[in-house]
Amino acid sequence: MFGYYLRLALRRCRQNLPMLSLLVLTMAIGVAACMAALTIATTLSGEPLPGISAHLYVASMDAHEPGDRDNERQAVPDSYLRLSDAKALVDTGRARQQAALAQSLQQVGNPDGRQSDQVMGLMAYGPLPDMLGVALRHGRSWMPAEQSSRAPVVLIDADLAQKLFGTDDAVGRNVAMGKHVYRVIGVIAPWSPRMQFLDVSRNLGSVLGQNEQFFVPVEAALDGGVGPLTSGECSKDAAVVSFQSAEVGQCRWLEVWLALDGTAAVADYQRFLFGYAQAQHDAGRFAHPPQARLYDASGWMTANHVVPDDVRLNVMLAGAFLLLCMINVAGLLAARFLRRQADVAIRRALGASRRQVFAQHLIETGLIGLIGGLIALPLTWCGLWIVRQQPVSYAVAADFSGMVFAGLLLLSLAVGLVVGILPAWRICRLPPALQIKQA
Amino acid sequence: MRHIVHPLWRHRLMPLLVVLQVALACAIACNVLFLLQQRLVPLLTPDGVAEPNQLIVAWQLVSRGQPWPASRLLEAEAALHAVPGVSAVSVAGSLPMETSAQMNGDVIGDGTGRRANTAVYIGDHLTEALGLRLLAGRDFSASERDVHYKSVGLDDSGPTIITRALAERLFPGGDALGKVIRIGDDANAGRRTVIGVVEHLMRNKFSQDNRDDIDYSMLFPGIPGMWPMPVFAVRTDGAEVAGVRKAVQATLQRELGAELVEGIDPNYQTYAEMREQMLARFKASVWLLAGVSVVVLVVTLAGIMGLTSYWVQQRTRQIGVRRALGARRSHILRELQLENLLLVGLGVLLGLCLAYAINLWLMRHYELTRLPWTYLPLGALVLLSLGQLAVLGPALRAAAVPPVVATRAA
Repeated sequence: MFGYYLRLALRRCRQNLPMLSLLVLTMAIGVAACMAALTIATTLSGEPLPGISAHLYVASMDAHEPGDRDNERQAVPDSYLRLSDAKALVDTGRARQQAALAQSLQQVGNPDGRQSDQVMGLMAYGPLPDMLGVALRHGRSWMPAEQSSRAPVVLIDADLAQKLFGTDDAVGRNVAMGKHVYRVIGVIAPWSPRMQFLDVSRNLGSVLGQNEQFFVPVEAALDGGVGPLTSGECSKDAAVVSFQSAEVGQCRWLEVWLALDGTAAVADYQRFLFGYAQAQHDAGRFAHPPQARLYDASGWMTANHVVPDDVRLNVMLAGAFLLLCMINVAGLLAARFLRRQADVAIRRALGASRRQVFAQHLIETGLIGLIGGLIALPLTWCGLWIVRQQPVSYAVAADFSGMVFAGLLLLSLAVGLVVGILPAWRICRLPPALQIKQA
Repeated sequence: MRHIVHPLWRHRLMPLLVVLQVALACAIACNVLFLLQQRLVPLLTPDGVAEPNQLIVAWQLVSRGQPWPASRLLEAEAALHAVPGVSAVSVAGSLPMETSAQMNGDVIGDGTGRRANTAVYIGDHLTEALGLRLLAGRDFSASERDVHYKSVGLDDSGPTIITRALAERLFPGGDALGKVIRIGDDANAGRRTVIGVVEHLMRNKFSQDNRDDIDYSMLFPGIPGMWPMPVFAVRTDGAEVAGVRKAVQATLQRELGAELVEGIDPNYQTYAEMREQMLARFKASVWLLAGVSVVVLVVTLAGIMGLTSYWVQQRTRQIGVRRALGARRSHILRELQLENLLLVGLGVLLGLCLAYAINLWLMRHYELTRLPWTYLPLGALVLLSLGQLAVLGPALRAAAVPPVVATRAA
């Protein structure tokens, strides 16, 4: 029966081509707009580090000190802490794992200065590479003893190792960074999160994850003049903000991230954090009520608008537009079907059940939906191309893939069927006798 | 009226679909057009800078470690002045279209208590270098320019030049000259006396909705202290701009190049290029939103047309009967137009409520502003005329139905 109805539908599609093209085109435009917006939104949603970031939390509190330059109370506190607070939180070790971090942009070269590269990396206090699940190709991460003795050690990624030394296995070699030479103790696989969620204010406007090419213990780095990309907020006598400066003793510039499992652990840490911050406030160090709180990775990204609002607004706009197209197509389909009342009445009189008539018309609209999907394919591709040409930070996310193609066909088939339900139901409910008489 | 409403009620499906379609299209169009207007603001507002092709801007000069002291910046400024073809030079904290270094804050008009969020540009010869048009008052004097700020300069007191828009906002209906503006709520906040008013000067902080505050700017004399991202505005005499630009680049590289942050390259552009680059995303989204509006309206037009022509075709016989009973062509035409007006009007009414609801929801969840009520009649007008346009073809065809149709079996 299915095949027969399909043949019938094809035959009917050929009968009234102008009407069919209007139907198909309307549906295709709606589906293409929706698909383009959804493609971008799905690329920019979900976990920034699959399997890992779901357990990661960042500590935020109003850690302004009375001598800070900008001393207004923060409505929503940020996550930046002084090194002393960051060390205190990490050293307490209340979470499963914890580390403080800040992004840095450095010229990293081999000691003779023949090869060097400008790369982003993370300065860290605590076992950061391990906590982030960074895969080691060679060597190891730093030991607590190395961290506390401020040993000049560094982890670099395989790309940087290749560039500087022509080999992946750079363990034991030295690299020049800032004023010092650091010994490479580990080589990591190239690492970047899907989206940038660590140290978001130093992201230079990127939504997609930075490629972090080195990890260095923070105190050894500062000893060698290696500082964060920007200093963060500092005390009154320092610059508003300084760049690539290791003179950050009076600044709030590090974030503390924690790995916590389960709501009980989160609640427990939340209490601990609140107590810590309140104690600092009571001692007169923090100028304002600290409002300490934990954010999970995705909550933190939302709070900081890492993914621009435009992305979700566009999805809603495209969704509303698809709905408009669907209502439109439903109307046109109803008109198309009702023009054939007489044929349907005869079929019904000859014994076709309502269910069969319904199925027949639904198959026809499904077919129209699929044709619409095929036309939507180049339209979607074109839409994504347009987005890629735009000067927006998420342009690279507008990538056409096999998944998009599959999603597109599914969406248009679904749209075709949903849109057809009302007209098909309407036509199968007509009483046959009356229609024949009128005809 | 009854003979129009009654058949619509008896055959509910088609009219219902028209109403729904119009409602949704109206809701989308109102909100999209509102966004479109907001995006147009930075593109259409004059920024106050004269001869943008003859102004060279050196920006994204970021100092590594400690910021350059004012004396170093003044040396660089003097070196730029010596470049042949340069007519004016100013060091500044930031400039219009330079969004990476911004100074913004709430200021309060002393006496009126009115507040505004404004941009602050601190620089020693900005009026001259940017070519601002002074409407009232005077430019900064040499001694005022010579001020040395210990900090950035936002907290210090002194003279200021403001835009006309800001003057009217803070001191409505009065002369702003000589009035005092408090820079923030703090008890020891800076107090700036207005000595001049310029026609326009665009702010460099763009937000979702800049309709009101795009032209709120203040100028402070001097050079911002402890400021790691200074900007140089170099006004040329118009000849050989490309050559001067190269000389400006070479001069600044010589003066400051050794202390630049590694990995962030300075830009040396004409102001026109910089403006083009900064406004590109607004242009792009204007095109996108305009495209969306057009497509929404075209789809609705096609939809109403398709439904109405089916509706007319269904009633060919009834129309024939009415014609045979003495109805004129114009009667039929009028009736169909009135019917369409009723349906679209109902749709528009629903759509306006929906538009408002969507706007309220968006305001709560995103940083959008309230839809001005003027959009509602505008949106209604657009959709009502669209409906009339859509019905015209089918209605004319209906009016052309000859009375003889009534005598034939359908």
